[in-house]
Amino acid sequence: MRKGVLLLAIVAAMIVTASIAQPAPLDIRPADFSLANGLAMVQRTAVILSLLFVWLIAAIVVTLMSAREVRYSSVELRASALHCFALGLVAITSFVLTAIVFSYLPSVIGVPLMIALAVFAIVAKIYGAIAVFHALGTIVAGARSREALERRRWLRGDLAMVLVGVLILGALRLVPVVGTIIWALASVFGVGTALATKFGRREPWFLAWRPVEN
Amino acid sequence: MKEACQRYLEEPEAHAGHLADCEDCRALFDTLGVPVENRAVRVDALPLAPWESAAHRSWPLIAGGALLVLVVAVAVCAWAGVPPLRVVQSSLSAITGARVTIGAAAATLRQASLVWQVAFGLFFVAVNTVLVLLLRRAPKGIDA
Repeated sequence: MRKGVLLLAIVAAMIVTASIAQPAPLDIRPADFSLANGLAMVQRTAVILSLLFVWLIAAIVVTLMSAREVRYSSVELRASALHCFALGLVAITSFVLTAIVFSYLPSVIGVPLMIALAVFAIVAKIYGAIAVFHALGTIVAGARSREALERRRWLRGDLAMVLVGVLILGALRLVPVVGTIIWALASVFGVGTALATKFGRREPWFLAWRPVEN
Repeated sequence: MKEACQRYLEEPEAHAGHLADCEDCRALFDTLGVPVENRAVRVDALPLAPWESAAHRSWPLIAGGALLVLVVAVAVCAWAGVPPLRVVQSSLSAITGARVTIGAAAATLRQASLVWQVAFGLFFVAVNTVLVLLLRRAPKGIDA
């Protein structure tokens, strides 16, 4: 029953998210491979690489500040990826719908609420992306045994795993179309794991009501 | 859990005397049904925990990786003639695009019929209900 509800939620959220964030239709013709388009592609690559450097610095700073939280979120992402993905999809859909509702309100109330929502969404995306970097780095380059870990001199620790994750996802980002889709999926996973673990603090979002025991 | 207990559980052989002093740890072993004398915690036999060696900071690797990305980014930017301001503009344009889209959606909703507005309201409540239900599940990563 619970799995069925989860599956339905995922399908519904995917339809909504896909219809909201529908990419422009691909229309690749021979005329597109001109010198101007080639230059535009190089400029796009330059912008992506510069942003990748910014991501790398942000990831290093956040991991230095709260390595344990990032690690908890990364572990959660690897342990229950489907839940994180479903939560991320539903959360992003909720962000968009809530933003529309806030735009609907009078600006005196709506604008401050919109700013708060935007800040929360951006923080969730950045933190979640760093958790995804860590998870991906651990999956690809993490030590499988204690002996392997002890043999390693440099390729161990949270920072190294985050670096590996950034470099892999950064390299994938350079691939046209596919890179954008992969980063969008990584954002969904990231927002999901950030919210599932309450930014790595592993505390409940809501207080549970229990009757007083006499 | 006290720090000494944590150290003992991580390296029982190195802190063998702790069990004799700590009542909490003895009670823990009793609860688990493991006789204190026969406890055999072989750390090497346990699977690798996520926190093991996690605090290690490989600065040469980090500095090398960051420098590599910086050099490649600067080289490609110089070659393509992209000023640093363009990178900032690119980031802001995505946020501006999202803001414009949401504003347009809100304007469309205002002009829509009452039925559509009610349907949107119901959909908004439904999505947030599902979000709350998903958020209520406790994280299980470490216990998995």
